[in-house]
Amino acid sequence: MSTRQEGVAPPTAVAEGDADGALRELAGAVESILLVAGGPVPVEKLAEALGAHRVAVAQAVRYLQQRTHVTGLLIQAVAGGYQLGTRPEHAEAVRQFLQNQHSDSLTRGALETLAIIAYRQPATRGDVEQIRGVRSDWHIERLLEHQLIREMGRRATVGRPMLFGTTELFLRYFGLNDLAELPPMGTRGVQTLLDAAR
Amino acid sequence: MAQKSVGYTVKVPGFEGPLDLLVTLAHQGRVDLATIPLADVTQDFLARTRDSLDLNEATEALWMLAALVEMKAKLLLPKAPPSEPLPETGESDLPEKLEERLAEYRQFRDAAEALRALEDLQQRIFVRPLAGEPADLLLEGVTLDDLFRAFETVLTRARRNRAAEVEDEPVRVADRKAAILEALAGAPQGVEFTRLFGRRVSAVFIVVTFLALLELIKEHKVRAQQAGPLSPIMLAAVTV
Repeated sequence: MSTRQEGVAPPTAVAEGDADGALRELAGAVESILLVAGGPVPVEKLAEALGAHRVAVAQAVRYLQQRTHVTGLLIQAVAGGYQLGTRPEHAEAVRQFLQNQHSDSLTRGALETLAIIAYRQPATRGDVEQIRGVRSDWHIERLLEHQLIREMGRRATVGRPMLFGTTELFLRYFGLNDLAELPPMGTRGVQTLLDAAR
Repeated sequence: MAQKSVGYTVKVPGFEGPLDLLVTLAHQGRVDLATIPLADVTQDFLARTRDSLDLNEATEALWMLAALVEMKAKLLLPKAPPSEPLPETGESDLPEKLEERLAEYRQFRDAAEALRALEDLQQRIFVRPLAGEPADLLLEGVTLDDLFRAFETVLTRARRNRAAEVEDEPVRVADRKAAILEALAGAPQGVEFTRLFGRRVSAVFIVVTFLALLELIKEHKVRAQQAGPLSPIMLAAVTV
């Protein structure tokens, strides 16, 4: 049950109630690093900084994630790392303090364009317009500007059209760990994801 | 708190619904644009932007309106006769193909909806901003509205002066950006907004100069400051 020999043997699962001192200490250190990092930190980097086994780190993260009743913070697996953020239920309080109005959301057209690029990447302007049935230059420009998509070379066909794919910011913007976390296409996949987001 | 954007809705004889739906249907030929009074739609849009302006939405709506005008113009122009007769065989499965494409589009529309849910959730989670992340624009004591009002004032004055309406030379945003940076480089204490535009200049020159200024602010190369509500808006180059 203990992580005395850090980095040697992967520790076994620890229920919240009987978390021992070593786990709590490791968890505190993980939380501290995530606070100063701001963005997502890969588990390898945490393990390296803490001189701990990555399994122990993952366990410490799980421990932190279970303490929902004693903290206003949460840890998400985002863009290939762990990220510390405020819990959504405190959004109004945080916004009030930051004097921050609601952030700009993407428009519907931009979201559709982004969805097509995300699932079909690398995709061209033509791919997007074929599916949406309308010209989408404007949305593609805005998405490039927001750094949610990026240019990924050109397709070797007539006219050599530019190919687009999603960025690391795309993953962070939607709170996804990697592209495999995109909801499977088709209504059922989407519904699963909608339920999970609630 | 803030309302979710719903986009512009259109209400004219022949069509009632979201503007982007009109664009989609018109493109698929399921709405006859020839019967839709686009001038009314545009008037409506302009009237609404006077009440409240969401820059993102207004720009997108403007873009869609332009697309509609383009489509309608093509529709109204006489068409050249097709150079080759259309192949006869493909016609029977046309509705099927259209249905297939619509089904595909619907899948992506659903996926976009799922992304919207994730966006909603993620916008309620705050993280410390990463170093080097695009921060807030460099506007100190100035709102975007203030800037637009100042711009309008300059534009109105130019119209009153009946300055030359047609430029001899095309005015380019890139050139105006360079000119603004040059003017600011020689004035470390800053330059007053109205002085950017010169005296006898055309509306095109003013609009392009303003666009250049907005781009420079967006690129974090220029900072706009206003000491108080009635003070002049001052612009200064950002020194790194």
